[in-house]
Amino acid sequence: QELIMSSWLPPKHPIVINAFEPWAEEVEKVTEGRVTVRIMGKPLGSPPAHFDMARDGIADVTYGLHSFTEDDRFTRARLGQFSFLGDDAIANSTAYWSIYGGQLDAAAEHEGTHLLGLFMHGPGLLHNNVRKIETTADMQGLKLRVPGGYVGDLVTALGATPLFMSSTEVYEKLSRGVIDGVTFTYEAMTAFNLVDDIKYSMTVPGGIYNTTWFFVVNEDKWESLSEADRAAIDAISGEAFAERVGKAWNDADTTAQGEIGDKVDFYQAPDAVVSALKAAAGKLEQAWSDGLGDGYDGMAALAEFRGMTGIQM
Amino acid sequence: MTSETPLPEGPAPDMIPGRTPHRQTAWYRVLAAVSALLILLLIAVTCIDVVGRYALNRPFGGAYELTQMLLAALVFSALPLTSADGGHVEVDLALHLLPRPLQLLLGRLAGAASALVLAYFAWRLVLIGMDQLQEGTRSASLALPMAPLAFLGAASCVVSALAMILRQEAP
Amino acid sequence: MTISLIALVVLLAMVFIRIPIAFAMAIVGGVGFGLLRGWGPAGAMVGNAVFETGLNYSLSVVPLFIFMGNVLAGSGIAQGLFSAADRVFGRMRGGLAMATVLSCGGFSAVCGSSLATAATMSKVTMPSMRRFGYSDSLATGAIAAGGTLGILIPPSVVLIIFGLLTEADIGKLFLAGIIPGILGIIGYLLAVMVAVRLKPELAPQVGEVHPMSRSDAISVIAVLGLFVFIMAGIYGGFFTPIEAAGMGAAAALLIAFATGGMTRGALWTAFLDSATASAMIFAIIIGAEIFSNFVTFAGLPDSLSDIVEQLGLSSWAVLLVIVVIYMVLGCFLESLSMILLTVPVFYPLVSDLDFGLQILQDPDAVLIWFGIIVVVVTEISLITPPIGMNVFVLRSVLPDVSLGTIFRGVFVFWVADIVRLLLIIALPVLSLYLAT
Ligand code: NA
Ligand code: NA
Repeated sequence: QELIMSSWLPPKHPIVINAFEPWAEEVEKVTEGRVTVRIMGKPLGSPPAHFDMARDGIADVTYGLHSFTEDDRFTRARLGQFSFLGDDAIANSTAYWSIYGGQLDAAAEHEGTHLLGLFMHGPGLLHNNVRKIETTADMQGLKLRVPGGYVGDLVTALGATPLFMSSTEVYEKLSRGVIDGVTFTYEAMTAFNLVDDIKYSMTVPGGIYNTTWFFVVNEDKWESLSEADRAAIDAISGEAFAERVGKAWNDADTTAQGEIGDKVDFYQAPDAVVSALKAAAGKLEQAWSDGLGDGYDGMAALAEFRGMTGIQM
Repeated sequence: MTSETPLPEGPAPDMIPGRTPHRQTAWYRVLAAVSALLILLLIAVTCIDVVGRYALNRPFGGAYELTQMLLAALVFSALPLTSADGGHVEVDLALHLLPRPLQLLLGRLAGAASALVLAYFAWRLVLIGMDQLQEGTRSASLALPMAPLAFLGAASCVVSALAMILRQEAP
Repeated sequence: MTISLIALVVLLAMVFIRIPIAFAMAIVGGVGFGLLRGWGPAGAMVGNAVFETGLNYSLSVVPLFIFMGNVLAGSGIAQGLFSAADRVFGRMRGGLAMATVLSCGGFSAVCGSSLATAATMSKVTMPSMRRFGYSDSLATGAIAAGGTLGILIPPSVVLIIFGLLTEADIGKLFLAGIIPGILGIIGYLLAVMVAVRLKPELAPQVGEVHPMSRSDAISVIAVLGLFVFIMAGIYGGFFTPIEAAGMGAAAALLIAFATGGMTRGALWTAFLDSATASAMIFAIIIGAEIFSNFVTFAGLPDSLSDIVEQLGLSSWAVLLVIVVIYMVLGCFLESLSMILLTVPVFYPLVSDLDFGLQILQDPDAVLIWFGIIVVVVTEISLITPPIGMNVFVLRSVLPDVSLGTIFRGVFVFWVADIVRLLLIIALPVLSLYLAT
């Protein structure tokens, strides 16, 4: 049987080359050729459509970000989108698979699909080209591109102005001074060609933000595979995939750091800034946890997450 | 180079015979006015964003999303106009050489096929709208609900489909 | 591969019985996808394509760049450009045709679409050429060919769509189009000279030029000013190429009102034409998206790149093969759908090639250069029979001229285009000089 996979990242993106493609090859190996994965040369829909595409069977296998769509579906998925979660993509992804996939019942939020993976990237940084942020006052008035609601609320609490746009627009806007900075990973700095337009990159223990990703297969298609094949694929997915993709992100970050060298001033956020961020983040975390409803304890899940990745709050 | 001989007026001979533009009907004029307004708003959003950014150091955070939604609305409000005008790209290679009754027949056939496609679009947009209503899909920064846009699109495709089949036939 | 070819034949058959191209692509793509993959998924895929295309932020340039051109067209600026160009060439044999080419190039600097450029300029230049007894074939050929410059000389909707598909820098693409665009004007001027030398009866000697009026001068200044405003805005860092469309449209409105050449009726027409042209283009984009999802699923992109790889050709030969494929497809496909269908297939292939030139060391430079090549072959496709969109535009404006006459008139310009294409391929510096 052939699984059709739609991939929207550029074909040479590190997690395509080092995670999805090797996974696809391994599927064929562990099922002794009974199941193959064909990755389409071109995505079969826009990036935000990719979850629905797997659910509706347009493609069998897709991946994407939970934050692509702003709706009520992936509320518990936000566990992995907070600050101070972890500096290592493998640890992040494993913890995310274990906790969101476990007590937060990720499967229920991905109805119509079978979960092949849940993962996160390396720590997000706060890059800007205006000034080194040394006190919270330095955040005032900075126009920052953020990936979604939570980081937007966080930087707003510190006096910055969040702006939303697609990641491919960032280069245009940053190089033209439309925005002063952006929250991104190390890898995105080189991938989106931003190095020349960034002067200061502030690291925060465990990252100022992270993004969470799903990797799913259409449920009916999944059920049509034999039990033995499903078991074989499950064995190289889930936690094993979290490690594989986590390593791919880590390697991409390391490569990017090597490439950037000292062209950008990397520095650790001063304590005052960190504690202000923590105070603002705490409120947002609590609000999220309160909104989860009965049966789910968001704060406990966050604490367990940080326990697994070794971040002290 | 002024006061030249005017170009021939009237419908082009490669127009499917019998079709007359109905740019004077009320629905056409209303949709045209809405489209014009949407174009103006698109321009205004960009200008407010760009000027605000430099003159007042206050960028317009919702510019990106508003542009997206205004654009979608513009496409949907203008689609019936294009359909009624016979403005979709059609290719005439040998058709005008055929006898007129056959041309009329093929014209109707093409119109019916287009109308079917548009009706199907409308149906799928209704399904998408219902889905979004249920899931509470909204835009990222302004939190505008997306479902109305899908229903607007569905309505637009229905009107366009009607325009494709009901285009007036001359005697 | 076979399935895709069958689909292409069915698509052409539907187009030939006058089903609009957008809907023909939607039918073939949707039904094909349904046959291969099931009707439920096909329906969902079609729905997504319809809903999401209008939400594409970058495509906001389509209505706005078209509106900018339409406003200027309605304000009489095209007439001014033509009169001014006539001052340059009016005394030469074929001078009006040469003035047509030059004013098309000028209008291209403020209009993002080739079809709109051809439509606008035909209304201004055709009556004049007819009055002085120019042959219809030379006159329409000059307009159809000159109009194609609309997508090469910035601003350009097609360059923006190329940038969107490949993530190439749109600002650099715009700069890259300038020199090839000027080369295009020169080539077309030479084409007119050659044509009237070979067949003097095509263009009687006019020998008089109209005096350039004050409003003609204002038109030229306005076009230059608007072009500089857009380019300086983009490269000065004031706005992005996408935002340039909105700013340019606003500036065009200001110019139209300031010069007083705009009537209420003309303004209304500019709005209406821009809206309907945009809906037409978006319908094609939606249809192309549906069709392209089907051929992707049927494996066409993979087989094409496999074929090109298996041939074991040198980088330059691969590029030439791709250009030939474009030329063949360009005969049959509508320009925008051709780009939407093929660029995602070919750009990964081309950006991997090593051409052994210093100037092409940077993959981004290769992409920019390839973008210009794609736009030039697209320009050529606009005037190549049987489906040449610019020729169709002329035919709808000038119903008494046959398609055959226009295609005959276009031939000499087509030859100039081929020469220009070869130059642009052989000398990447023509595209990259301004862009890097
Ligand atoms: Na142009
Ligand atoms: Na053609």
